[in-house]
Amino acid sequence: MLGRILDWVDERTGLKTIYRDQMVEYKVPKNLTFPYVFGVLALITFALQIISGIILIMYYKPVIAHAFDSTNYTIMKEIDFGWLFRHIHAAGANFFLAIVYLHMFTGIYYNAYKKPRELVWIVGWFIYFTLLVTALTGYLLPWGQLSYWGTVVTTEIPASLADAPILKDFFGAIGETISIWMKGGYKLEDLALGRFFGLHVIFLPLVLLGLVGIHLFLVRAAGISNPEGYEIDKKKEPEKVVPFHPYVTLKEGAIAMWYLALFFFFVFFYMSHFLPADNFEPADPLKTPPHIAPEWYLLGFYEVFRSIPSKFWGFVAFNLILLLLLLLPFLDFSPLKSARRRPLFFVMFVVFVISSMALTILGSMAPTPTNAKLGMFFTALVFLFFLSLPVISFIEWGWYKARGGQA
Amino acid sequence: MSAWGVIKAVFFTVLTVGFFFIIWVYNPFAHKEVYELPEEVAGIVSDPKSAIEGRDLFKQACSSCHSVRYDGMYLLSLEARPDWEKILKTMGKPIIEKKEGKINIKGYYLPRDVYEAVALQDLENLKASFGKVPPDLSTIYLARGPGYLYHFILDPQKVLPGTSMPKLFFPEYDKEAKVKVAKIVAYLRSVSEPPPSEKAKRVVMGVATVGYFLVMGLILWLYRRRILERMGLH
Repeated sequence: MLGRILDWVDERTGLKTIYRDQMVEYKVPKNLTFPYVFGVLALITFALQIISGIILIMYYKPVIAHAFDSTNYTIMKEIDFGWLFRHIHAAGANFFLAIVYLHMFTGIYYNAYKKPRELVWIVGWFIYFTLLVTALTGYLLPWGQLSYWGTVVTTEIPASLADAPILKDFFGAIGETISIWMKGGYKLEDLALGRFFGLHVIFLPLVLLGLVGIHLFLVRAAGISNPEGYEIDKKKEPEKVVPFHPYVTLKEGAIAMWYLALFFFFVFFYMSHFLPADNFEPADPLKTPPHIAPEWYLLGFYEVFRSIPSKFWGFVAFNLILLLLLLLPFLDFSPLKSARRRPLFFVMFVVFVISSMALTILGSMAPTPTNAKLGMFFTALVFLFFLSLPVISFIEWGWYKARGGQA
Repeated sequence: MSAWGVIKAVFFTVLTVGFFFIIWVYNPFAHKEVYELPEEVAGIVSDPKSAIEGRDLFKQACSSCHSVRYDGMYLLSLEARPDWEKILKTMGKPIIEKKEGKINIKGYYLPRDVYEAVALQDLENLKASFGKVPPDLSTIYLARGPGYLYHFILDPQKVLPGTSMPKLFFPEYDKEAKVKVAKIVAYLRSVSEPPPSEKAKRVVMGVATVGYFLVMGLILWLYRRRILERMGLH
């Protein structure tokens, strides 16, 4: 019976051909390493976020009089399993960003942003950026102290443009306009909450879904990259490729199951980081908490902003890092691919990873003068990574030519 | 894998796991004030029975200033109002407690805007005396934790100098003072945390879920190995 239904659908859609072409006939390199799994894990986490989000949206009320209570009373105490979905959504947001960061660093390590995959990287960057905005807007919704003050600080950041060395009034006006536009007024109130809610539950997820679709299409169109850093000719080297299904699907499926086991361990037994204690106090505009720091996924950028003495240059610096990330495929124009075959790049990659981690950890510490100096040092190292890429590429072009155009 | 490959894999794994351990589990660099719960009262705080006694103590000592809306506990002055019962029943939602299969109405939950509107005068009076409206304590246990609450209630000025919260329990005159405070903390805990039976259910659920995914992963892995052997891709 089921077979006949499938045949009926197949006659009208060609589903079986698509399945064969895209799953079995689709060949991927055999030597894909473990980090290649992060893409699938990100997709799974995205699905978890959408499912848990749909459940939460049924009980959440985007009005400041009810936002806090609808999260902490209705969802956490009244609704059966409401707590579970909130835990999944809160842990999922952290896991999503963690996996996306790992996915990005993997991409950088294997140079998966190079020709013919520049667009994959650029669309991926937009996914990352949209994800940051989604996380930021979702953070306000529980209307706790952290939500409120975190958003106050974030929406004040563009106002630091007023600290510009020249054209103070001009930059100041731009900064203030952005800041007011984000908040919907001078104060965070129902208007801001409503906007953030609308963006978080409808607009941004739709944009994300669209971008993820394009990202996946582009990955298929350009073919998956290779840890060894050269393009496999699937016809000439059939021993180096394997069918996507079942070779990769089962491997990544098994890893995905273990990933979910880890994820649900946090959901059931360790939520104290993902639902921070301070956020269980309702937002109070008259009471500033002693320590306000953004969530960990923004701490690196926050530390760059904070450690540079001038607010204006701090603002420019962290935006520049975002921009340089976007331009990565063009900064690194070397003919060689993958850190495995590029010793200079490997060294700079390690510097980049360690400085990003150091900046994040410094961001969680108190703002002492020593920490500010360390922050500036690691900021400089991050910029050094980006600036070294053209130089390394130049050197590697020399090697490439000396070897007679052999990668 | 070559030796160099192993070194790289270990290096990046240790780096990543270490990083996430620091930012998600334990950050030795971030400063955090910790208030330890004294051992002699730790047992009282985690005992559901003392939470019931704590509720009465809370009503006597705290509810002239603080409400616990999630538990249907409101200011004492409000409960003296003749129309209060009616307000609760028409504007509030029953807080339902399941006991031995029976449904029991524990109290009424009033939405914040409704509560602040009907209790406006009482809250303003408190504000006039203390400088600010004493907060609702429904989620304070989750926000501050048992250690902080215990020390704060016992001696507010010591923990938060300048606070308008008065000291209500005096261990120097009342031998039971520390136990009473611990019972109040136990009550606040019972408002925020699920009851022990529910907690046990969640643990079972968690173990089952995690176990399920671990086993499924293993089955998939073994299945893959068999299939690949058959396909000659091993």
